[in-house]
Amino acid sequence: MNNVTYAKVCGGVGLVWVLGLLFVPPFAELVEQLMLLFLSTNAR
Amino acid sequence: MIRAVFQILGIFVLLLALTIITLKLKNQNADGPSVLFPGGELISGELYEGPEPDWSFTDDVFFIELQTDEPLSSRRIFVMESDGKVYVPSGYMRSFLGKLWKDWAFQVEDGSNLAVARTNGVRYERELLRVKDPGIIRGVADKLAQKYAGGASPEAVAEIQQSVDEGDTWIFEMAPRRQQP
Repeated sequence: MNNVTYAKVCGGVGLVWVLGLLFVPPFAELVEQLMLLFLSTNAR
Repeated sequence: MIRAVFQILGIFVLLLALTIITLKLKNQNADGPSVLFPGGELISGELYEGPEPDWSFTDDVFFIELQTDEPLSSRRIFVMESDGKVYVPSGYMRSFLGKLWKDWAFQVEDGSNLAVARTNGVRYERELLRVKDPGIIRGVADKLAQKYAGGASPEAVAEIQQSVDEGDTWIFEMAPRRQQP
């Protein structure tokens, strides 16, 4: 996709993502659990 | 094709950055931590006042919330009872991510060791004291393996003891606060 479209997609996805993290607690917890799993596996 | 790959990668990097920034800001002043991000001061919950509790109840507690005072922040942490005393671990202490992630343990080691622990809705004012005594570590390692490593096999306990010996894992006793003069 071209740069303008890409910027719009990034903006839209980013906005939805942030709103999900702020207002959907199970989603935020799932994301954190995945991050914790990654860190626990790779933090050596 | 390559452009598309980089664009997808860019979105992942953006989402990762947004996640870290959003959750860090969201939780930094919250009453307690989230799964991964530190929280603020532990405010809610009865403040325990009385004789030293029987900490064996923590055998059924997977994690507690631990607040340290300088800087004021809280995090979820494992807990182990051994020989009537209660302990918390801090792992990954020699890894790069650990040095970023476990700053509270370094601050405790430097002397800012007053803490508040919260579990089952009750807060306990404690003092964190790093433990290195092999006899104590053996008992704590046994409980740590039993609760969090699938069982206290000799190999699991030995691995934990080695991790403590090498400085990868630090063990702190959550001792009663000493009376201030």
